[in-house]
Order: sequence, then structure tokens, then C-alpha cells
Amino acid sequence: MLSPERRTSMAERRPSFANFAGSHNQIDTMMIPHLAGIEDPLPESTPETVDVLIAGTGLVESVLAAALAWQGSNVLHVDCNDYYGDSSATLTVDQIKLWVNRVNSNSIPSYSNAKLYVSTSIGSDRRYASRDFGIDLSPKILFAKSDLLSILVKSRVHQYLEFQPLSSFHTFENDCFEKLTNTKQDIFTDQNLSLMTKRNLMRFLKFVLNWEQMPDVWGPYRDKSITQFLFDKFKLDKPQVFELVFSIGLCSNIETKVPLALQRIRRYLTSFDVYGPFPVLYSKYGGAGEVSQGFCRSAAVAGATYKLNEKIYSYNPTTQVATFSDGSKVTVTEKVIVSPTQAPEGSQHIPEQKYQVNRMACLVEKDCNEWFTEGESASVVVFPPGSLKSGNKEVVQTLILGAGSDCCPQGTSIWYLSTIEKGSRAEMDLDAALEALEASLLRESSTEITQNDDIVQISDDGRPIINSVRLGQSFKEYMPRESIQHLMKLSYTQFTSTPPFDVVNPALFDNDALNNRANSDRKFIPNASDNGVLYTAMPSSEISYDEVVTAAKVLYEKIVGSDDDFFDVDFEDEENEMQNGPGPVPNNISYENAIDDDDEDADMGMQGDDSAEFVGKMEI
Amino acid sequence: MLQFKLVLLGDSSVGKSSIVNRFVKDSFDEFRESTIGAAFLSQTIALQGQPDVSVKFEIWDTAGQERYKSLAPMYYRNANAALVVYDITQAGSLEKAQAWVTELKEKVDDDSLVIYLVGNKVDLAEADQEVCAVPTPEAQQYADDNGLLFGEVSAKTGQGVQDTFQAIGQKLYDLKKNEQGALQGSTDGHVDIQLPRPSTNDSTGCCV
Repeated sequence: MLSPERRTSMAERRPSFANFAGSHNQIDTMMIPHLAGIEDPLPESTPETVDVLIAGTGLVESVLAAALAWQGSNVLHVDCNDYYGDSSATLTVDQIKLWVNRVNSNSIPSYSNAKLYVSTSIGSDRRYASRDFGIDLSPKILFAKSDLLSILVKSRVHQYLEFQPLSSFHTFENDCFEKLTNTKQDIFTDQNLSLMTKRNLMRFLKFVLNWEQMPDVWGPYRDKSITQFLFDKFKLDKPQVFELVFSIGLCSNIETKVPLALQRIRRYLTSFDVYGPFPVLYSKYGGAGEVSQGFCRSAAVAGATYKLNEKIYSYNPTTQVATFSDGSKVTVTEKVIVSPTQAPEGSQHIPEQKYQVNRMACLVEKDCNEWFTEGESASVVVFPPGSLKSGNKEVVQTLILGAGSDCCPQGTSIWYLSTIEKGSRAEMDLDAALEALEASLLRESSTEITQNDDIVQISDDGRPIINSVRLGQSFKEYMPRESIQHLMKLSYTQFTSTPPFDVVNPALFDNDALNNRANSDRKFIPNASDNGVLYTAMPSSEISYDEVVTAAKVLYEKIVGSDDDFFDVDFEDEENEMQNGPGPVPNNISYENAIDDDDEDADMGMQGDDSAEFVGKMEI
Repeated sequence: MLQFKLVLLGDSSVGKSSIVNRFVKDSFDEFRESTIGAAFLSQTIALQGQPDVSVKFEIWDTAGQERYKSLAPMYYRNANAALVVYDITQAGSLEKAQAWVTELKEKVDDDSLVIYLVGNKVDLAEADQEVCAVPTPEAQQYADDNGLLFGEVSAKTGQGVQDTFQAIGQKLYDLKKNEQGALQGSTDGHVDIQLPRPSTNDSTGCCV
């Protein structure tokens, strides 16, 4: 369904593109075709007229800018900061210091209560430099099967980025970490599981892959909590239920509704083994901040104009003129999109940001290799409700990144903690989680422990395996003599209009009656500096990137009229490159599929008939 | 094959992209007036005198993001070489190139970064000595003082362009040869995942 006013796409408008790609055999590889400026020299000054003005280079805005630029819109993309990323930025320690000051002087809407400690070990001529660290304001992980990943591939933005695997998901329970039992092999070899539990777990894993086709199983539980469903229907025990709900499903609390939780559990399982035996990836050098830069670069290649240090002062929907703080002006023919963090002074249309995400980021002088799978440099640790000393009601989610991520130097790590709990309760929960992480790390990294043969077992390839379950039991009373060196500790409250574990609500963008000027008497507020502006949503509490594409698409549709040609780009010569080009060849090792049975093919999605038959066998 | 990332720097309209286009496709569009924002191009050359050594350049253009000093950290990251371009017919152009060199040294924390200072539009100066606004010795002196490679080229005629990339390739190869041992030791066992390459042959394993 094309909008009548749909512009011709970039590829359609630039006939030389096809010629260029096809007629030069001496070109070894064309990673991304020439576009911007080839026929159209870039102007020297800020454009006088653009189709769309976007303020804020956060991830959603950046994906939107790239999508619009490739679709053919003339985009001016500005940011009032001197760095890319806005609410998704990856910052150095020095940049964090400035950011905290600005939050605490109330000059960044949607953030409050920032607290920062920085060790004297960081600074010029000290042990660590400020820029040795890349700290994400909104840390994210990328599911191997997700809409953002496919857009990254389609847009070729992935070529600007490097991704690494993450397979370690830990659930904190009874004062120790349980490594996730997420593969068939794990389930069968886990000696702590009874035969019955194993059978029930396998049944559930099979069901969840195709849950939507089996409403007879979950329908009666539609409005019930996932925990009740798993206890009642699949007779699973609490440890398994918590793993499924909180580590695999990354849900917020035990009240999470069945359909949402099933969808989230399946997300993990179907992402497993897409690239290898892990469900999730993360980008090196920084998360959302890095991905934002990639999309901005892509937008620039498609002709978007970029200007940092540019703050919107006001927008007049009648004259369609946006004015910047430095006095420059631009006429915007279609829409002005602004991140809530970059709202002009005197704004009165920022959507209510009624949900809190409380975040903490710690730089720690420990490599934390104990928590990573070999060859990896990241892990997720989840603290289910009630697992912490603080008696937490909501989950605390933790992302740990080691030096291999190139976000921090050798011998250090970054710990990101977050919760949707509010106010001082949130602070207590985050502090309790931090304390639990520290205690566990000291126990596990203690030399006394690694010399104990009872606990350390050596695997076939000579690698010591530390049994964290037993560690937790044996050393519950262990009082560490060592303490953890914090290089930096940052905590802050971020507000968002997106409910926890939900996606952006399109209705958020419906209050733009002003853009339809025939209708402009409805929401016009005299003296407001932002009449007619469309605000994006702040990052939600979601730890994955899963809301981003949806949010960008909703805005895209608002502007273009349809999302049919959202990243409808065709880099045809790319296939060749990817197949013949040099570079690491994927391993042909066949990994144990997360849940497939020996007598079934490796297809993650099961055949409907098999599933139905299976449900029968389940006697439920 | 050795692979290197090369970034272009310099003010708008000095001909950064024209030089690269001349290099990768040996063509020149006379009517091109300003800088060109291609993303990155790849070009492989065999080193002169060492035809068995091929060097692949991954060339990043600024895509216009340099105009308001809005280049992202991503642009500079892991750059092995930089081509800093000025226009010999524009007075003040060399000073601007020098500012880019300063910026570059600040952003790229790597002593082995190869920087090549290149004066473009030498064809115009040859046609009319009067238009040459930046004397060669001045640029040469600056390059020598700062440990940069230096040359003058014409993206229009192609003069000096291949030599420029040959020199960069040779320098990178020499550096790499010396570092070889260290480099091999530095692979830390971390895997980078190639997103367009799911590990299974199963079509449903592809991202949807």
C-alpha cells in the first residue's frame, strides 16, 4: 500500500547507481555503493529547506534517519551534544562526568538523580585513561533472530560494526549463580535435575516453540501469570521456572502474563544456534551508541546532513521554520522529530514519561572471566524477585562486559545493572545486587578455591571447570579478605513513556494534529516552543534492541504514509562479495541445537502435526 | 592478503573523493564540484616490486560528516592509514589539512598510523603556475617535521594517485612485517560474528 505522495527511492532516483555498480570490473568490491554527492554535490552551508528535521542521534532516531534518507527524504539530523548517541550514547569517563552534571542541573529532560564516583586511577597520566572506557547510557543486547539484526544486515550497517557472542546467562538464587540449563545437552547432563524434571522441561521447550498454535494449552491461562502456568501445566519446579521466566525470558516479575512471557522465552530459544551456540550478540566498543553511529553514517551516505552541537530553539508549525540556538533556521516541509532529551526550552508537548528505569554502571578492576564462556567476554546475570537481601519485587538485570568487548581495558570489566523498581527501593535493590555480584566474584576468583580439587574439575581439554553451584554452597560463609576496586560507579534514573517490557505505543505520535495544519487549532499552545513537534520515545527498560525497529517504523509511517519501503534498499552486488570475499569462514562445526531431538530435523520450528501429536502425549 | 582501513580527511571540495574514485575506478568526473560521500570502498593492489604481496584497502569516505566537525568515533576507529588532502590552489588549505592531522593524532591512539599528506589539483598548477597557492616546499617541510608521507597528485589526470596508494601500501606492509610476531600473539581468542552468515544451512535459521 503505497502512499500517493511516496517519493521515488534512492535507487530509482539515481540511475548512475546501476551503471556504476555494473560497469567497472576493476572494482574489487563495492561494500556500499557511491551515492551521496555523486550527482549532487553537497551544499556548503546548512540546507535551507529539508523534508525532515530530526533532533537527537539516539538509536531510534538514527534508524529513522537512515530509513528516511534511503527512501529519498532530505534529512537534516542534528544533536545538541558534541557526541553521537543521545540517550543511547556510549561515553568516556570524562563525558560521563559532564553528563552527570548536566542531569543534576536539570538540563537533560527524562533523567534525574545521577550519582557518580570516579577513582583517582582514571585520568591523564594515571593507570587508566578516560577514553579507555566506553560506557553505555542504555546498554543493550542483540538477539540473533531479531528485526534489528535483519535491518543491520539489509542496510549493510553491520559492516561498520563488530559483533561478539554472548552465551552465559546466570540466574542468581540462594546466594549463588546457577548457570543456565538451556540446551538439551545441559538438561540431560545436569545431575541436579531429576528425571521427571528433565522430562517436563523438555516438554515445555517443545511446546513454547509453537505455542501460538496450541491455544488449548495456554488459552485458559491467557490472563494468568507465567509462573502459575509453568507450575500448573508443566509441573516445573521453582528453579526451572525462574530460569525460564527471568533468564531466558528476561521478564520483569512473577506476574508477567502468559502470552508475553511465552513470546519472550521463544525469542531466546529461536535465537539460539543461529550463529552458533549462543542466543545473543553485542557490538564491540559500545552498544547502542555504536549502532547509532553506524545508522547515522548510513544516513549520511544516503545524503542526510549531520550537525552536532546544534540545539533546536523553536519550531513554528505555521511557517514551518525551525530555529536553532545559534540563530540558523531551516524550513521543514514535512516533520520535525525530536528526542525528549533535546526538547527546546519552553516546550509543552513532551509526552508524559511516567515509567522509571533505574540504572547503575560500575567499572570494576577485575576481569570477571569466571563469568564468561571461554572465548567470550560478556554475560547476563539475572536476580529474580526475592533473591536479594533487599527483598526485591522486580528483577534486577545485569550485563557484564569484559575487556574483550573493547569497552574497557585488560583486567577490568563493566557491570550494568537495571531495574524497573522505583525510587529508593530501586537504589536498595541495585546496591544489593551489586553486593551479591561482588561477593560471588570474590568467592569464585579466590586462589584458595581454585586449589581445591573437590571443587575444580578439569575438563577433557585440560580446562578447569568451576562448579558454581557447589561454590555457592561451600562458600556461603566465606568472608573475603580482598575487596573489589571500583574505578567508577554511576547510578541514575531514566524516565520513559514506554511501559516496562512493552513496545512503543503508536498513540504517542497521534498528538501531532498541528502538523496537519487544517487541524491546528486543537493542540496549539500559545508560546510553546514545540508546537507541531513529534517526540520520539525514550529507551525503555528492555535489555534487548527489540523495541527499536518498531519505534522507528511507527515514526517512519507517520512521515512517509506507509512503512512498505522501510529500508527497501537493494545492494545487489553484495552477495558476491559476501560469498567470495576474504574474511573468516564460518565454522562448520555443527552445534547441539538448543532443543531438537535426535529423531527430528534441525529445524527450530516444528511441524504443526508433530506438535499436535506431542501435545497429546503430554497428557495435559 | 593484508587488509587495512584507510580514512580520508580534509576540508570539503579539496577532492578527497575524487582521488579515491580515480584510484578505484580510474575515472574522473570533471563536473564534480564538491566532496563525495561514499561510505567505504575496497580496492586491492599488488605492491610494485613484490607482486606476490597484495594489499587490500578498505577506504572510508567522510560521507559529508566532516563539514560540521561531526565525524563519529567509529570513523577513526582502527584506522591504519589516513589520507589528509588539501587543495594546492586554495590558500589556507594546508592549514586546514594541518588541523585535520592534529585532530587525527588526537583521535587515533596508535603510533603506527600511517598519515599521507596529499596536495590535490596539481594539474591546475601545471597549466598555470599562478594558481598554485601552496608552495610544495612548505607542505614538504611540514610533512617531514611531523613524520608524514607527502605527495602532490591530480585526481583529474591521475598523476601521482597510484603512487600515493603504492607508498601507503608499502609502508603498511613494512610496518606489518615488523609487527608480525606481536600481531599473531595478540589474537585473544575472541570471535567476531559475521551477521550475514548464520551458522546453519537451514533457511529458517536466517534472520527474519
